[in-house]
Amino acid sequence: MRKRALSYALLATMSIGFLGGCSSGSGNEADGAASADAGKQVTLKVGIFDRGNAPAGYTATDNYWTDYVQKNFGDPNHIKVEFVPIPRNDASDKVNVMMTSGDAPDIVFASTNVLTPYGYAKDGGLLPLDSLIDQYGPNLKMYLGDALDVGKVDGVQYSIPGRRVNTGKYENLIRKDWLDKLGLPMPQSTEQVYETLKAFKEKDPGQTGGKVIPLGLSLTPASLEPIVWSFIQDGLTDEQRYTLSENLGYPLLLPGHKDAVKFLNKLYNEGLVSPDFALDKDEKQVFQDVMNGKVGMYSDNLGNAYTDNPGIAKLLTQNIPGANLVPVDPYTNNAGKHLKPEYDPTGFFLMVPASSKRGVEAIKYLDWMAQPDVLLTLMNGIEGEDYTLVDGLPQRTQAEETSKRMFNSADMAMITQGEDFGSNEKNWAAAAAAVPEQFRQSVIDAYKMSLTDTTRYANFTTPIEAENKYMPALRDIYDQLIVKSIMAKAADFDKVYEDLLKDYMASGGDAIVKERTEAYKAMAK
Amino acid sequence: MKAINPKRTVSSEAGVFELINTVIIAVLVILCLAPLLHIASMSLSSNRAILSGEVTVFPLEINFEAYQKIFQDASMIRSLLLSLGLTASYTALSMLMTVFAAYPLSKRLKGGKYVMFLIVFTMFFSGGTIPDYLLIRGLHLTNHLGSLLLPTMINPFFMIILITFLRSLPSGLLEAAEIDGSSHFHTLTRIVLPLSLPALATLSLFYAVGRWNGFMDALMYITDPKLYPIQLKLYQVVMNSMTNDPLSMQGDQVVSVLPESIKAASIMFATVPILLVYPWLQKYFISGVMIGAVKE
Amino acid sequence: MKQLWLYFLRNWQLYVLLLGPVAYFLVFKYGPMYGILIAFQDFNLFRGVMGSPWVGFDVFREVFDMSAFYKALRNTFMLNLTDLLFSFPAPILLALLLNELSRARFKKWAQTILYLPHFLSWVIIGGIMLQVFATNTGIVNLLLGHLGIDPIPFLTNKYNWLITYLVVGVWQSAGWGTIIYLAAITGINSELYEAAAVDGAGRFRKMWSITLPGIRPTVVVLLILKIGEIVQISFDRPYVIGNVTVLDFSEVISTFVYKTGVQTADFSLATAVGLFQAVVGIILLLGANRIAKKITGNGVF
Repeated sequence: MRKRALSYALLATMSIGFLGGCSSGSGNEADGAASADAGKQVTLKVGIFDRGNAPAGYTATDNYWTDYVQKNFGDPNHIKVEFVPIPRNDASDKVNVMMTSGDAPDIVFASTNVLTPYGYAKDGGLLPLDSLIDQYGPNLKMYLGDALDVGKVDGVQYSIPGRRVNTGKYENLIRKDWLDKLGLPMPQSTEQVYETLKAFKEKDPGQTGGKVIPLGLSLTPASLEPIVWSFIQDGLTDEQRYTLSENLGYPLLLPGHKDAVKFLNKLYNEGLVSPDFALDKDEKQVFQDVMNGKVGMYSDNLGNAYTDNPGIAKLLTQNIPGANLVPVDPYTNNAGKHLKPEYDPTGFFLMVPASSKRGVEAIKYLDWMAQPDVLLTLMNGIEGEDYTLVDGLPQRTQAEETSKRMFNSADMAMITQGEDFGSNEKNWAAAAAAVPEQFRQSVIDAYKMSLTDTTRYANFTTPIEAENKYMPALRDIYDQLIVKSIMAKAADFDKVYEDLLKDYMASGGDAIVKERTEAYKAMAK
Repeated sequence: MKAINPKRTVSSEAGVFELINTVIIAVLVILCLAPLLHIASMSLSSNRAILSGEVTVFPLEINFEAYQKIFQDASMIRSLLLSLGLTASYTALSMLMTVFAAYPLSKRLKGGKYVMFLIVFTMFFSGGTIPDYLLIRGLHLTNHLGSLLLPTMINPFFMIILITFLRSLPSGLLEAAEIDGSSHFHTLTRIVLPLSLPALATLSLFYAVGRWNGFMDALMYITDPKLYPIQLKLYQVVMNSMTNDPLSMQGDQVVSVLPESIKAASIMFATVPILLVYPWLQKYFISGVMIGAVKE
Repeated sequence: MKQLWLYFLRNWQLYVLLLGPVAYFLVFKYGPMYGILIAFQDFNLFRGVMGSPWVGFDVFREVFDMSAFYKALRNTFMLNLTDLLFSFPAPILLALLLNELSRARFKKWAQTILYLPHFLSWVIIGGIMLQVFATNTGIVNLLLGHLGIDPIPFLTNKYNWLITYLVVGVWQSAGWGTIIYLAAITGINSELYEAAAVDGAGRFRKMWSITLPGIRPTVVVLLILKIGEIVQISFDRPYVIGNVTVLDFSEVISTFVYKTGVQTADFSLATAVGLFQAVVGIILLLGANRIAKKITGNGVF
């Protein structure tokens, strides 16, 4: 019967939780600015991703770097820094619940999508940070520079976008050894890509026994965006860019998109692409085919081919001695340019909830982190223990302790995605230094190619409501359009494409274009 | 369950049936075993073989590194022990409460119908994640194992199953007990429960498996990694690197990704303990348990 | 009045037993129930249920105006009804077959192994399914290829996909589902079998006239509960097994809500759809219960 007594106790306390949790509405700056009395320790709660990859002895919230932060930032400032784990895969669910109950940490980050801070700000859930940054964030301001503006909603600084150093997005890769075997040159245009793929198919230079996949494809942006964007026509006006692009990533409404899909349709019908690409939602199949030496060409997220994990190039050379996977930038648009998308120079959006009383400390923390020497340490560890400087670039040591220690350092350095060594060349060299010797030149080439003829999404600084509302559903319709159009018989292509495009426009596409057009007019004034 | 067919007929018709039946079951067994063998093989294979898609149901380039890594990790072991304790106490608590609910309701008690409706209503209507969270927080149960024990204590579905079982007990025995003047408590503990062992074993298994495999509540209510149940850790390990939608992918490049073999080994590590529960409970599924109890 | 008092005196222990469970449901299930109100609000995360503005039935109107909702509803019915047709009888049949096995050791092992698929999450099953059923690279189609049969698009043709969905569902749940029935079979009085054997009843005769009627109450109750769940559908199974080529069939209420309510943080819409599902579900359950009681005498209430 003891259990029931417990239940009664719970019933009695229930009223506390019943309708509570309605945190004070729109925050005002005075609240957040209430700083700690000098000398009295306060607690600053900082969100941190828990990716389930903590090595033995560490957790996402208690590790070498949390100690380091406490010692070097917390103790001198009388602040206890407490890290709150946010499960990476359910970050937005968890953050939503924490936000609504007033349990959110003082520094929250959940996504790299600008719509997230827009949504929270619109509901009055975020602390305006303008004056706090002016007062307490000189280093932060210097480090982030113009990127800060992306965190503004209607002119008010509601979030701090982490800075993305390398804005290159994708790489295209090709089997150089296959080209050499067939005596073919590196393809320099989309037309030549087609010829090359056909040659791969007919001559099967990899001796795959008919299993050759000239162009590896998956249903992911990494596979599709590089090709689709390369068809977008030259000389877009600002109006076109602003009103016809959307948060989708793909340039569905820009001139040239249909040609791109038609090209893929042709490749599919001639058996030049992965036949089951529609089922490959996470690139796993493409990777597997590449590693087994079946694929001649494919596209991927920048840098993915040469890193240790999944280790595509490495495993390919293990499986197929003599295989040589190199970057290439072959696709051309109507003006012969290698058009491709580039990331905004922003990473995760850091936010301070309106209910937070630690706005000052939050900015102080980020400002401390923005100091060059602190950032260098967070990203690379301790000189001598974890890295040595070679040509001015940190080279990570192979110590076991180092690899354990650095498991989440990239997440800890939340104000940046990647490390800035001062110039593109140096940054590329640093990226190359992280991979085995034989791939270093390829990495540098890939990074360089990723930045030629790039274009960025045209974002407004006011939220486009319709995007927030329709985008998740539209993304599926877009995938449907891509897949069904590519897999259609050549004769049916136009009808399939146009029908699905109509469906897309009717399911919210029109509403977005309309709202963007209005926003563009307002902005142009 | 030999007792059900005590005399095995030796006619050829029966032999053929037995053979066909055995073959059917054997095929199904193979189909059900294959995926687990596949995962077990991955946990023992090299990363190269796994990523190249060469591993089927036999390990290739065998090594035990993945298991070494897991057993080195004290937090994995701690989570496992925590889950064991949690599952055991949850099962005991849930069974107790479920019996408390099911026994009176199986008696067609006056007013029982309303209680029943009150309960069935909650199978369909619920407040949703946010009010649930606010309640747990209001009860000061966040970051407390109580949040993993109390909110799902009685599963109405299981309770209804138990009621059905209780109602199909031979009514003569129960009535006799009541005429004897034995109290309801007495009837419950001395007659009803011993008679219901198969049902109680079944539901215990259901509760235990439900708690063992569940992690969504822990995901919401637990923020101290020291209190993570094993399945939450497993979920994170398995999902590690699987964030592949374009929104979350941006900027996620510089994180350490776990090798596939570790993921597979973690699945084995987290699944095998609960698999061992069933054979242990199997003895309660032998008919005759019941008859023995009645004759007691 | 006096009679009632006597009744209570005789049965007070039963009411005492109920106190704990009732308190549990009141606190943990009815306590948060106010969350339903979100469906009638333009919910603002930061103002909570108390502070958000009321909008009446606007959210429902919005949902019922969406053609995607009806498609998701149709598919939910379709998948659940076909699933009911196959996944519901499968464990009953399997339990009967298992029960007839006479080698005790084989039976024991077979039971344990048949439960295994239940312990695999859908994410993992989905990965394995691709390797098995993919059109060009799947194991099944490679085997068919050796036999000279053209590859079958198990996952990319919507009708084939439906069958794959059902088969995998049966595979995943049938073994686990036998547990309840095996427990029910254990409860059957073995004297009935002995008597039947004396009368010369064969194996199938005994199955039909003793075992099946013996587990009938369990079957009926489970069926009623299943019918009540026919508008509910898990997210993982259709989402993980589904793909864009079969979205015509694989888009169900849970995935619809995920896209239009969860990802867009539109709590009002998600709650409204949930409320709709609950109302339909409880009506179906009560209806099924009433019919079952008339026909078989067994029911939930």
